[in-house]
Amino acid sequence: MTADDLAEALATATGDDSLLSAGISAATRLEGDLFLDSLDLVALGALLRDRYGPAVDLVGYVAGLDIDEIIGLTVGEVAGYVNREAR
Amino acid sequence: MSRFLIVTLPLTGHAFRALAVADELSARGHQVAWCGPENYFRPLIGPDATLFPTGTRFFRNQAGHGIAALKSLWQEYVIPIARFMLPSVSRAVRAYQPDIVVVDQHALAGALAAHRHGLPWATLVTQAMELTHPLAALPRVDAWVRAQIASLCRGADVTDPGFDPLFSPYLVIAFTTSALAGEQPFPGHFALVGPAMLERPGEFAWDLLDPARRKVLITVGTLAIGAAADFYQRAAAAVAPLRGTVQAIIAGPPELVPDPPGNVLVVPSVPVLALLPRLDAVISHSGMNTVSEALAHGVPLVLAPIRHDQPVVAAQVVRAGAGIRVPFGRVSPGQLRQALVKVLDDPSYRRAAMGIRDSFAAAGGAAAAAARLENWPHGGAGR
Repeated sequence: MTADDLAEALATATGDDSLLSAGISAATRLEGDLFLDSLDLVALGALLRDRYGPAVDLVGYVAGLDIDEIIGLTVGEVAGYVNREAR
Repeated sequence: MSRFLIVTLPLTGHAFRALAVADELSARGHQVAWCGPENYFRPLIGPDATLFPTGTRFFRNQAGHGIAALKSLWQEYVIPIARFMLPSVSRAVRAYQPDIVVVDQHALAGALAAHRHGLPWATLVTQAMELTHPLAALPRVDAWVRAQIASLCRGADVTDPGFDPLFSPYLVIAFTTSALAGEQPFPGHFALVGPAMLERPGEFAWDLLDPARRKVLITVGTLAIGAAADFYQRAAAAVAPLRGTVQAIIAGPPELVPDPPGNVLVVPSVPVLALLPRLDAVISHSGMNTVSEALAHGVPLVLAPIRHDQPVVAAQVVRAGAGIRVPFGRVSPGQLRQALVKVLDDPSYRRAAMGIRDSFAAAGGAAAAAARLENWPHGGAGR
């Protein structure tokens, strides 16, 4: 999964097509740059699980992060996590 | 007759709940004193009320969203203002000798001072960040918050492991009901009384309202004005094409929406409680105050939460079926219009809002809060 793949997944999960033209890169922060909140993450997590298999547990991954890791969480880190866990 | 010392924060959503409860206590013949910054509280409580001033400290960095905003809320406001207020609150407790200290959940100095002086204290839950423990889903964020609180307590020489300044062990009064917060087994000393409402000052030219059109209030409250202009402009664009059927009232400085459409009034302040019976929907940042006042009038909502407990409140309203959530930063005028038309046209939203209204009315509000305080369970009140 690439940053572009994740941008597409985010647009689908949140129903917000403006994310497709938001210039999302690996360094884009989910919270700080894209204003995503916990409900968006739940929606994204469900979609990633459907696409990449039950080992991809985004909500569980985020629950394991500390406060500054969540604040700074990037598209690249999420894509990297999916690539590690996906079958 | 009992003596109550109220310790709260100079923020509308917190202070006005305490003011409503204080009015009820005074009407029942009790004595009420306040502890907080004089320049904020004196105009609200009047020249004759007893006030122990704490000085003023502003939350300068009231910005951002999500976990970053949560971090700055604790690190730059809740904890520092507790340290700042503690000496004044301790002096007030000694000078006033209250029977009970009534403490806003985020005015931690009140809990610490009461505990250190061995006085009974009650918690007023005026927001949604702690009651249902939404941070349980992010255990390491929750642990970070607990560590901030533990450090504050250690600094105040309070080391009892059972002491939690967020929740009184005697009485916790929450201004919500299970119909909104969700059914869960709260401890017996928790009283969910529904909103304690008190009108904020605001002039309104009632003759500008068009009785033939449906009316929508658009407000992001008092703390988010910095982020308001862009949202208000999108909201004005959202309602403009509905000019035949909808009239909107935006609460905010008129310069934020320089050239409003003909069906949008922009007014600096509104008497919300007087306006609500005439409203068909509210578009809001999902502040606990605005949301519970709208629901107390059976008015459905479109919610664009920004930070702190606002996403929690929005999730509660959506779960109850009384509103729709949209993304504050990203929602387009078209998406906002779609959500608004849905809550206006689909009667299920108003029905759900009326269900919560009924639960609020049954819970009793400020009068129920005052009754719980005067019937103190541990014999601390009453002389």
